[in-house]
Amino acid sequence: MKFGLFYEISIPRPWTPEKERTVYNNCLEQVKLADELGFEHVWAVEHHFLEEYSHCSAPELFLTACAVLTKRIRVGHGIVVCVPEFNHPIKIAERTATLDILSAGRLEVGTGRSATWTELGGFGANPDTTKKSWDEFVRCLPRMWMQETFSYQGEFWSMPERTILPKPYQKPHPPMWVAVTSPGTEIDAADRGLGSLGLSFAGFGEQEKKISDYRRRIQSCEPVGAFVNEQVATTNFLFCHEDEKTGVEMGQKLGNTFNYLATQLISTREVYSSPSYQSLGLLPALRRAATGPDASEQQTEGMAYGDPARIIRAVKKWESLGVDCINFILNANEVVPQEQVMASLRLFAKEVMPHFARKPAQGSPAPVSPANVSVAAGE
Amino acid sequence: MPLYGALDLTANPAALPTLAHLDTEAWTLPKAEMLQLLMEVPRTSTESLLPKAMHPALPSYVILAVTKYSNSPVGPFNLAMLRLGSRAGAHPRGFLLGAVASTEAAAKELRGRWGFPVEAGEVKFVRRHDRIMGTVKKGGRTILDGALVDPQPVSGTDVQYINWVTAANAPLDGKTQPMLIQVDPKYTFYKAERGKPQVSTFDAAAWNADGVTLADPIVGTCSTVDTDLPRIRFVMDPLKPVFQGTRRIRESRADE
Repeated sequence: MKFGLFYEISIPRPWTPEKERTVYNNCLEQVKLADELGFEHVWAVEHHFLEEYSHCSAPELFLTACAVLTKRIRVGHGIVVCVPEFNHPIKIAERTATLDILSAGRLEVGTGRSATWTELGGFGANPDTTKKSWDEFVRCLPRMWMQETFSYQGEFWSMPERTILPKPYQKPHPPMWVAVTSPGTEIDAADRGLGSLGLSFAGFGEQEKKISDYRRRIQSCEPVGAFVNEQVATTNFLFCHEDEKTGVEMGQKLGNTFNYLATQLISTREVYSSPSYQSLGLLPALRRAATGPDASEQQTEGMAYGDPARIIRAVKKWESLGVDCINFILNANEVVPQEQVMASLRLFAKEVMPHFARKPAQGSPAPVSPANVSVAAGE
Repeated sequence: MPLYGALDLTANPAALPTLAHLDTEAWTLPKAEMLQLLMEVPRTSTESLLPKAMHPALPSYVILAVTKYSNSPVGPFNLAMLRLGSRAGAHPRGFLLGAVASTEAAAKELRGRWGFPVEAGEVKFVRRHDRIMGTVKKGGRTILDGALVDPQPVSGTDVQYINWVTAANAPLDGKTQPMLIQVDPKYTFYKAERGKPQVSTFDAAAWNADGVTLADPIVGTCSTVDTDLPRIRFVMDPLKPVFQGTRRIRESRADE
């Protein structure tokens, strides 16, 4: 089992330059400590226009700062929105390669397509085609990283032959993932040999089925990259405290705040009828969990808050289901004071981490022959 | 935490519909044809229209709906509504700003049973192959002329309708007082279409939405559905956040 941090970078109103800076600095301080404590990953999302919920619109800059401040923690660009109105694929290839160089080969590349009308509408993107453009992007990126020169004629973008520079530090290229929120996306991940970056807070039963389906399906995948990245990561809240009751109460406050902010987002399906967005993604579970900031009922099972013993039990359960990595959300709207976040990280590292010996993820990275690398039609 | 609306419904309760009781009987409304046009609107124009208990949708948007009810307890009627996209706590809702019904009987019953801010007028629902149109006149003046352009078939599972919230006076705890009422119809789809929303006339003031201007179009849909207007299950204090001020007054239906 590996442990990571997961940042939305949530900033409460009223927004002032100092408050934005303080929250960003808090996050960087947490990442620096996590690096020293042995956490494996720090992921940062790409979101736009999501007031209070996420002010992380330029994750590559935040992650560059993380890389410079740390020595061994891997930096996860999670996820890059693979929709042409958001990001041109050449720019994705260039800036991820640069980040890989600056981090000395510590980059993980998460991919996705955005789930909210707030974002898709803001960029003028067509919700009907985001799955298709994502598919095109993830097939192009490895070749843009690996080939000396690259040209492409596709449905969503094209380019004449050029040399895309720089090339990533990691060879053949950084590990690739896809964000999994909507049902069935774990199958998309498996079919393409991508890691499953779970962003929902589903309970054990639902996650077990997703993981089982992913593991089975990936055995016969056609990888889009040069290797299969068979890994399952899931997201959780972390608040670790010596006293179980204190830990649970603060953890629930964190979870409730995050969930409540998340439910304010306008999911694409809520306003734009599209076969490409038949699911509300993570929102139904959050709405069940988030009856309000003062909700007192038990949230989704398996949350990593409480005292170390309680958290160990939860993590052991996730491990038994086949989860390789848990990425933790540490704060939302700064409801957890920074010193308590830092103390929670230290206690978790001291009391919980030793119970989970590191082991190589199943099948990762498994090289495949270049002949098996899937190539988009029309090149 | 999220923003809240600025409208104090208790400041002018006389402007609200009044319900005699909260024991409204359900209406079954088979084979209704529902045209909905969703448009983004400037946020500053909607802040004063949303009750203090609710959160605004970000970005702000409105739902212009024209529905043809071919069969109802008060006979066939057409109904046009303007709803403001919003949140009741964690849940997406359309706050009903204004409505026009094509018959006096429908207007009277909708106002008195569910608290619709509705008046009688001329409401037309016209289906053509190239567009589906909704036009509304009140006092002889056109207050809405809109259409779904180039309708293309989609699956009913592609369409999501959010629940509504009305504002009305109703008796509770021995006192008639302003409150928010959740109206949560069910839908069984027979047919659904999607296309571009187009609005050529929109008189905001006539919809109790003075100052609202339509901005970027989102999408238009038209569905044929079996639907209903159900019994009232939840009411909310108009001044408290709904996670603090919601009262369940009736158990959910067996299918919920």
